[in-house]
Amino acid sequence: MQIQDTNRYRHDALVLGIVCLVLQLAVAPYIAIANGHPNFAFIFSATFALTVGGPTGVAMGFAAGIVYDLGASSPMGLMAFLLTLSSYILGIEARNKLNDDPGAALANGLISCFAVSLLYGLAMLLTGSSASFIDVILTRSLPSFFLTALFAIPFYLFYSRPQSSGATLNRSLGTKMPTLGNTRRRSQGHLGTRGRQI
Amino acid sequence: MPANGAPHGFQRTGQNSSGGRLAIVLLALSVILFTVSCRMGDVGVLGAARTVWQTVTMPISCIGSVAVQPFQGLGNIFANLTADQETLSQLQEENKQLVAENAELEEAQQTATRLQALLDLKDTYNLQSTAARIINASYDNWSRTVTLDKGSSSGLAVGMPVTDSYGVIGQISEVSATTATVRLITDENSGVSAMIQSSRAQGMLNGSADGTLSLNLVRTDQTVNAGDIIVTSGLGGVYPKGLPLGTVTSVEKYDGAMYYTITVEPFTKTESYEEVLVITSLTEDQAATAEDIAAADSQETSSAASSKTSTSTDSSSDSSSDGSSDSSSDSTSGSSASDSSSSTSQTTSQSTSSSTTTSSSSTSSSQ
Repeated sequence: MQIQDTNRYRHDALVLGIVCLVLQLAVAPYIAIANGHPNFAFIFSATFALTVGGPTGVAMGFAAGIVYDLGASSPMGLMAFLLTLSSYILGIEARNKLNDDPGAALANGLISCFAVSLLYGLAMLLTGSSASFIDVILTRSLPSFFLTALFAIPFYLFYSRPQSSGATLNRSLGTKMPTLGNTRRRSQGHLGTRGRQI
Repeated sequence: MPANGAPHGFQRTGQNSSGGRLAIVLLALSVILFTVSCRMGDVGVLGAARTVWQTVTMPISCIGSVAVQPFQGLGNIFANLTADQETLSQLQEENKQLVAENAELEEAQQTATRLQALLDLKDTYNLQSTAARIINASYDNWSRTVTLDKGSSSGLAVGMPVTDSYGVIGQISEVSATTATVRLITDENSGVSAMIQSSRAQGMLNGSADGTLSLNLVRTDQTVNAGDIIVTSGLGGVYPKGLPLGTVTSVEKYDGAMYYTITVEPFTKTESYEEVLVITSLTEDQAATAEDIAAADSQETSSAASSKTSTSTDSSSDSSSDGSSDSSSDSTSGSSASDSSSSTSQTTSQSTSSSTTTSSSSTSSSQ
């Protein structure tokens, strides 16, 4: 029987996407350390990859990157490339890591965030947008990483918090599944139950 | 088995891959996009997509701009922390009803003041302009831009200079139907042909990564002092002549250097909710005259010639970082020594304070 509501998954993913989009367009420009701004596109893609992962996570990472690139002055496709790659790596096991192993998920997310910030800066350095490696690291990549990590914490806490009826990004893809017990029992993890049998 | 003891297998039905193939496809697509974008810039399909995106997301940007405005006074909170808490409570209670009215009136007054200042600027410089409002700023780490609430439908076009009541803030770099992106003068890729108001020494005002401005290409035989006002020179035909840009905060002259290292503090702080004027066209008297351009050309030509002769530079005689330098005290043997005696073509222009040293070609390309 169907253990998750696909529409609910889509609804929650849509809400997360809209929240991150609004924050990226309306809030991120006004929050800066040196030249670094928070990257809510990464927060969206990482949250999605850590909770859903798989091909959907990869696609969402690409979409988030494209959205970021559309509003940025950098060449199109750069952030899309990085977020696609990070989403693939973070979601390679296609399970809800935020519920299963929050500590490891947080560490992976931070490492990924740092890598994305650094690689983006280096790529921009190669394209001639900056002439100084020190400038790229100190005034752009590190501040951006710090702010992104800072703003990712609420998302992380919200989606890794166990609850019975909270937001969930996970889905069952509408699959009719065999059950061993109570078929009405819902997942405890609000970000999803990927990898859990109910 | 996962930590909770549940198997993964059936849960991944329909999604039994990690997305490797899709990732490869999308990564390849990203690389193609990146390559095309690097080659084509902001023209073509990608540029159109960005324009459409800016138009579509303009309401969200406006919301963010309005929402952020109240928090711009957060600094006052920290100042209040030093006051007695009881006193603060009493004052807050007493002012409770007045605050709302006062805030509204103050906002209206500030808006009126800014608009009046814009009108004054418009009248003073006889600017052909359109008023607009800043609704957003850039969120990426690589540019200093702001977005205006008017675009091509209001007559704005790429290249138009933008000012606020204090002076020049930048130049329109992108325009959509309803919005326009202004590259600020503090952007590191920005350059404005400028001159020092008092000495008329010309140079190129460039932005930098840390948001400061530097006035480049001012020869060390010119007169530059800390506190000097920097204005637009009009060369290049983009910015009107004489608009204020900033003040000189430091002047450094290194041994053997041909040009000063001049740091400029801009007059404008534009990353806030402000009204601006977009200068839509220049009148003849606002642009640099043919004589100005010819003088700059001849200045540069003669400067280049004199620099060839200045091989025996006395590096110990004039190294000043105190913000004050003067060509008359410059004992460099080549160029400045010949300014008033041997160099026939540039004697007049350099000995007077209205000489120019900026190459017109570099000026035009930056603008």
